[in-house]
Amino acid sequence: MSKGLRLGAAAAGVAVLLGVAVIAEAQNAPAQINQRQEVMKANGAAAKTLTQLVRGEQPWNQQAAHQAATTINTNAKQIPSLFPQGSGPETGAKTAALPAIWQNKADFDAKAKALDEESAKLMAANDEAAVKAQFGNVGKTCGGCHESYRAKNP
Amino acid sequence: MPTRGRFGEWTRTAAVCAAAVLFCAVGLRAAGPAQAQAPAADAIARGQYIFDAAGCTSCHTDEKNKGQLLAGGVPLKTPFGTFYGPNITPDPTHGIGGWSEADVIRALRDGKDDDGDHLFPVFPYTSFTKMTDADAKDLWAYLRSVPPTATPSKPHDIGFPFNIRLAQMFWKRLFFTPGRFQPDPAKSAEVNRGAYIVQALGHCGECHTQRNLLGGMDTKLFLAGNTRGPDGHAVPNITPDPDTGIGKWSDRDLVDLFKEGMTPDGDFVGGAMAEVVRHSTSKLTDSDIHAVIAYVRSLSPVRNRIEEKKAQ
Repeated sequence: MSKGLRLGAAAAGVAVLLGVAVIAEAQNAPAQINQRQEVMKANGAAAKTLTQLVRGEQPWNQQAAHQAATTINTNAKQIPSLFPQGSGPETGAKTAALPAIWQNKADFDAKAKALDEESAKLMAANDEAAVKAQFGNVGKTCGGCHESYRAKNP
Repeated sequence: MPTRGRFGEWTRTAAVCAAAVLFCAVGLRAAGPAQAQAPAADAIARGQYIFDAAGCTSCHTDEKNKGQLLAGGVPLKTPFGTFYGPNITPDPTHGIGGWSEADVIRALRDGKDDDGDHLFPVFPYTSFTKMTDADAKDLWAYLRSVPPTATPSKPHDIGFPFNIRLAQMFWKRLFFTPGRFQPDPAKSAEVNRGAYIVQALGHCGECHTQRNLLGGMDTKLFLAGNTRGPDGHAVPNITPDPDTGIGKWSDRDLVDLFKEGMTPDGDFVGGAMAEVVRHSTSKLTDSDIHAVIAYVRSLSPVRNRIEEKKAQ
C-alpha cells in the first residue's frame, strides 16, 4: 500500500469515527429515551419468558432460560449510560424516567449494578431449581429501582 | 399533627361547637389516659399483620431519608397540596403516646384526632372505618409496641381553603359513610374476606378510584382507575374488564403481582404500587391473597381506559 493510500485510508477511518461521534452527539433526547425504552422492553420480554418457564407454562428449556438471563445481564450493564444528564422529563418527551434518577445518580447506578449482579447469578444457575430460586431476586431488583425512579404504571 | 393556619383556632372552636350541635352525643370521649398495661404478644403479632395489610408504614415511615419507624415525614402530593404523614410512634409529645385505645379507634372510624379535630381524608379513615373492633384493637397493640421517637410531625403544606378543618366536616357529610364492614350474605366467606381486605385494610379504592374536584370518591367507579392518583400519576383500572381492567389476568398473574410486583408482560410495577407490594401485599397470607383475587373477580367489570398522561 502506498503512502498516499495509507494516508487516505487513515483519513477515511478518522472520518468514519468522527461521523460516528457526530451521530452519537446528535442523537437527541427522544432517541435516547426510545433506545432505553427498547432495552427495558427487551428485559420485560426476557422476564416473561423466564416466568413462563418458572411457572411450567412452557416445558423446561435451560438454554432459553440462560439466554433470557444473558439478555437481562447485557442490558443491565448499559443502564447507567442510557440515562445521561438532561435526558429526563425536562426534554418534554414522553418518558417515565423520574428526575430523582439524576438527583441520586449514584444510587440509581448502584441499583443497575444490583441487577447486573443478580442477573449474572441467574446466568450461572444451571438447572430448573436454581433458576427458580434466583429469578425472584432478579425481579426484586427490577421493582426496587422502578419504585423510586419510574413514574409509569402498567 | 394538625396544620392550623390563621383560621386555625377559630376553625377548631367552630368545629367543636358545630360537631356538638350536629352530631350530638357522637364523639364523647369515654376513654381515660393511655393504658399502663403492656399489650399481649399475640395481639402485637396480629396487629402487625393488620399494620402490614393496611400499609401504614408507606406514609408514616420516611424510608427515603432513613427516618425511624413510624416517625412520620413522608410527603404525599395531592391536588390539594402536600401532606406529610405524622409521627405515630408512642412518643407522648410528638407521637400518639398520649392517645387511648378509644382515641385510636375513633381516628380510624370517624377521622378525628385525640382532641376531636377532623383529620384530613388523606388518612384513609374513609376505608379504615370498616375495620373490625378486633383488628383495630390489635393494630393499637402493635402501634404501642414500636419504639417511641421524638421527631416532631411536619406541618402539611396545603393552601386555602383546603386547610380549613371545619370544611372537613362538610366534606365528611358529602363523601364519608362511617360504619363497619358489612359482609354480603349472598357471597362466599372467601369473597367477603377479600372485600374486607380490599375495602377496609388495604384501602385499595383510595388510589384506584376516580375522585371529583373536591376529592370525593366516585363510588360508581370503585376500583375502575384514577387519572389523578398520588404524585399526579394515573392508577390503573383493576375491575375485571378484559380490555381496560384485569379481566385477562390469570390467578397466577395476580399472585405474582401481589408477591413479586410482576405484571403479565414481564414488567415490574413502580412508584406507589411497588411500595404497596413490598410493605403489604407480599406479606399477606396465601389464603388472604386468594380471597382478594376472588373478591376482585366478583366485581362488575367497568370499562374505563386509564392512560398515563404525558410526562410533565
